[in-house]
Amino acid sequence: MKTNPLFVLLRVILIAVLVTFAGFPIYWMATTALGTDTQLFNTGQVPYPQLSNLPDLFSALAEVPILRWMSNTAIIALGNTFLSLMLGSVLGYALSRFKFHGRGAIGFLMFMTQVIPEALLVVPLYAMFISLGLLNSLWGVILANVGFSLPVAAFILKGAIDAIPYEIEESAIIDGCPRLGILSFIVFPLIAPSLAAAAVICFFGGWNEFLFAVTFLMDPDLWPAAVGLASFIGEYETPLSAVMGTALMFSIPAVVFFLLVQRKIVAGLTSGAVKG
Amino acid sequence: MTSPLLFRGRLLPRLVPYAFVAVPLAYMTLFVFGPLIQQVWMSFTDTRLMNPTAGDYIGLENYQDLFSDSQFYTSLNITIVYTILTVVIGVLVGTISAVALDRPFKGRAILRTVMLFGWAVPSVAATLVWLWIFNGQSGVASDITEALGLGRVPWLTSVDWALTSIMFVTIWQVAPFVMLVMMAALQSVPEEVREAARIDGADALNVFRNVTLPCIMPTMQVVALLVAVWSIRRFEVIYLLTGGGPIGSTSTLVVQLRLTAFEDFELGLASAYGVVGLILALLVASIHFLVERRRALVMLK
Repeated sequence: MKTNPLFVLLRVILIAVLVTFAGFPIYWMATTALGTDTQLFNTGQVPYPQLSNLPDLFSALAEVPILRWMSNTAIIALGNTFLSLMLGSVLGYALSRFKFHGRGAIGFLMFMTQVIPEALLVVPLYAMFISLGLLNSLWGVILANVGFSLPVAAFILKGAIDAIPYEIEESAIIDGCPRLGILSFIVFPLIAPSLAAAAVICFFGGWNEFLFAVTFLMDPDLWPAAVGLASFIGEYETPLSAVMGTALMFSIPAVVFFLLVQRKIVAGLTSGAVKG
Repeated sequence: MTSPLLFRGRLLPRLVPYAFVAVPLAYMTLFVFGPLIQQVWMSFTDTRLMNPTAGDYIGLENYQDLFSDSQFYTSLNITIVYTILTVVIGVLVGTISAVALDRPFKGRAILRTVMLFGWAVPSVAATLVWLWIFNGQSGVASDITEALGLGRVPWLTSVDWALTSIMFVTIWQVAPFVMLVMMAALQSVPEEVREAARIDGADALNVFRNVTLPCIMPTMQVVALLVAVWSIRRFEVIYLLTGGGPIGSTSTLVVQLRLTAFEDFELGLASAYGVVGLILALLVASIHFLVERRRALVMLK
């Protein structure tokens, strides 16, 4: 088929516009991180990254408690991943392998968690955490996050388990292997790629989460990076370059891993939405 | 999936599924469904933040307050406008991106990666750079409008522009996800069918409209639902960009819930805002279930 040159040109322009729209803010984040406050606020921003300003950026970043924020973020993310995968795999396995009364209802309830605005749970959880002593604790944030990551993990793992043949497990059952043993030693290795994808999704679900963390954590020493970054808004002591540098360091792990598992995420989210 | 015949008819094995489901379900009840019910209940009480576990039942008073509050109508209105526009434009931009990148060309992988940034970058980090881009005095967005002779625009601080700016950021975040899903859908359109249509003399536009579009339509519906639900739920982007202002002009139901609870300390009224938001989200989800009944039933089977 012959392609109209006008069509080709239009397509090139279209792609250029879309890529600029999508990529510009990140380019600008890096450019701003490598600018000085005088340029940014007075003489005008230099529209390309000035690598010669890297040492200044590093010394400005040294003033920001990035390490503490990042380690809090990592604790929340890891706790969320661990709990969500543990509970989600058991639930996903049950939804995939057993037929029982209430299975449809459970699938439906799990689907519904994708619809509930997190903001609705903030006040009741706040009240609950006060009485449990979980306010101002990373545990509270983790426990709240798992409620939203667990169903996603369960959907993804259910889909993966659906796709592997049952015969392998059957022979293990006949040999007297307990179900949880089957799950850990037979099913898990077979669905390792999906487990990894679910782990990444849960990890960055916890990594990126803001609302629970900002509500339940008052002590700045406990802040994850998302809350720390947000605290820069309306604060004028930290140079803007350091703010953007922190934002970049916070973003890079998420971007790298999301891009690695993008296809699995799509499969998990859409199947979750369509089929539960 | 088949359950093992071996175990049928015995009581203990019949309880095995429930043993599996019990812990995750208990967890979800404790940390999601329980609090949700509590939140709905709270909308019928006069609970205040200072003492969140004690509140008296006051019937529909919070809802009477809600319906006589002009902010409620503003919030409801902008939630609906924001949701509809982000869904329509987000799905459109995302689908166009997917179609534009559907055929292989040199450098496609890199461009695709760049186009996914908005989806992969954490919301809070993205919000910070958009705050700077939209900064009234020194932001590059106003530099551009000034260069075009339109003057500096108070993107986030004027009632006329704030919601538009927020929608712009939202579409930047949402369109890449739509693109990702639609690219997968486009890949599943059988090439032979397209080829056959071309041989029959259909031009590119015709092939798209009559062959490709019907194939990707179901996926588009699913993704539209997801985007709609996310728009109703979305909190941090709006909260951090404008805090719901100026004068409540970007305060969606969810943002208003947060403001009423943690700035006015009126938990009862805040809950009423939340309940309306929840109903809206459930409505969207049930529309989806009605449209996609057959597929939904697959899940309930």
